Amino acid sequence: MSPEPKIIAFCCNWCSYAAADLAGILRLQYPGSIRIIRVMCSGMVHPEMVLHALDKGADGVMIIGCHPGECHYLTGNEMALARAEVIADTLEDLGYASERFQLTWVSSAEPERLVEAFRTMSGRLMLLRSEQQTSYAKKN
Amino acid sequence: MKPKLSFEWLHACSGCEIALLNYGEPLLALLNRVEIVHFPLLMDHKYTRPEREDLPLSLPEADIGLVSGGVAHQEHLTVLHEMRRQCRTLIALGTCATHGGIPAMRNQWSTADTLQTVLAAGDTEPGPMLDEPSLFLDRVYSVDEKVPVEVSLPGCPPQPELIAAIIEALLNKDTVPPANKSVCETCPTLRKGKGQTTIRRFLDNADYDRDQPVSRMRCLLEQGLLCMGPVTAGGCGGKDTPLCLRARVPCRGCYGPVRPGGNQLLDMKNALASNGIDHRSIVDRKSLLRFSGAHGLIQPAGKRR
Ligand code: SF4
Ligand code: SF4
Ligand code: SF4
Repeated sequence: MSPEPKIIAFCCNWCSYAAADLAGILRLQYPGSIRIIRVMCSGMVHPEMVLHALDKGADGVMIIGCHPGECHYLTGNEMALARAEVIADTLEDLGYASERFQLTWVSSAEPERLVEAFRTMSGRLMLLRSEQQTSYAKKN
Repeated sequence: MKPKLSFEWLHACSGCEIALLNYGEPLLALLNRVEIVHFPLLMDHKYTRPEREDLPLSLPEADIGLVSGGVAHQEHLTVLHEMRRQCRTLIALGTCATHGGIPAMRNQWSTADTLQTVLAAGDTEPGPMLDEPSLFLDRVYSVDEKVPVEVSLPGCPPQPELIAAIIEALLNKDTVPPANKSVCETCPTLRKGKGQTTIRRFLDNADYDRDQPVSRMRCLLEQGLLCMGPVTAGGCGGKDTPLCLRARVPCRGCYGPVRPGGNQLLDMKNALASNGIDHRSIVDRKSLLRFSGAHGLIQPAGKRR
């Protein structure tokens, strides 16, 4: 069996990282191939960091911030939303499937929602991988 | 003995070499200090068969080598490897050599598609095909993707003063002048903060008073024109106003990204989005990589890695 897709998850200090902490305390299960990187705010993740992760071999990248209106820095997640649009548009131009990127909102009290988002993303990347393997097999 | 200089051009247009010739009178003083051993664009120097059987051609030895143009063909690669072998210091000259330049725009198609499009006739007859399309590489590469280089000098073409400054620094064994910050750094236009939130077509003219200097003109990006100054390495105007801004038109990005590994498309869109400008109003956004499509940045459409 092929290994689980490697996912880099940028979690903001105030909401989603706290949710990940709580998920650990509650012993919620999620795929072990997710690598969480704590950032102070989802708005500080430059699109080049996302591209860099993919260039270096990550299967997918997630940016996870606070719900709109709940940002610790008031509008950081609006910046994240604007940047996420840029990433979604540009990944295909640069030759990556846009499914490899996901922006999600999770509050610090929603560990289940976070774990669900991890699982969905992991499943989506598994699907993408099998699609690509079939199309590759057809071509050759 | 004078230091030896060797010039080569690969997938290039000769503009970079002409830029050096454009240096004017100080060029004569510079030429007096060096001996040019190889410059196919200017001098009738023959490519000789090497004594060593395993090498396809031989070029003279030199202290400083300057290579313009990207690498798109097996022949470019052969010449480039020989330049690297013979030159102690190798300079990638011009945006084609440092970032692929305009020719790397063909990286959005496969080589077979490009040849078909370029060589096909205008009617439905299949065009003539080259006998050996395999001699073309799969895409256009920058020089530093193929061999290590000591100095990268972007610009399409680079300012004559910048080329001369680097050659002189190497001759004097000084440190090479550091790379510049963005084009905006030396741009004197008026910046007021919030400007237009959509991008206008490139066909529109900027608003300005022709009797007033550039420093009285509002920043073109704030006027809603797609000026790539923020994501383009500076230097084109020396310490003075960037060249295109002198002509009151937006920067097209010809010096490539500010950071060597940067991505002008992603950075420009990010700069717009972070400032609340509708980045989706750009027509033909892929052309933001028009000068820096090598390093695998421009990919054939539909390639979904
Ligand atoms: S960088 Fe510009 S001037 Fe130099 S070879 Fe390329 S297209 Fe010509
Ligand atoms: S965006 Fe263009 S016009 Fe505005 S400061 Fe930068 S280079 Fe000058
Ligand atoms: S303003 Fe921009 S496009 Fe114009 S010469 Fe300078 S770097 Fe090149």
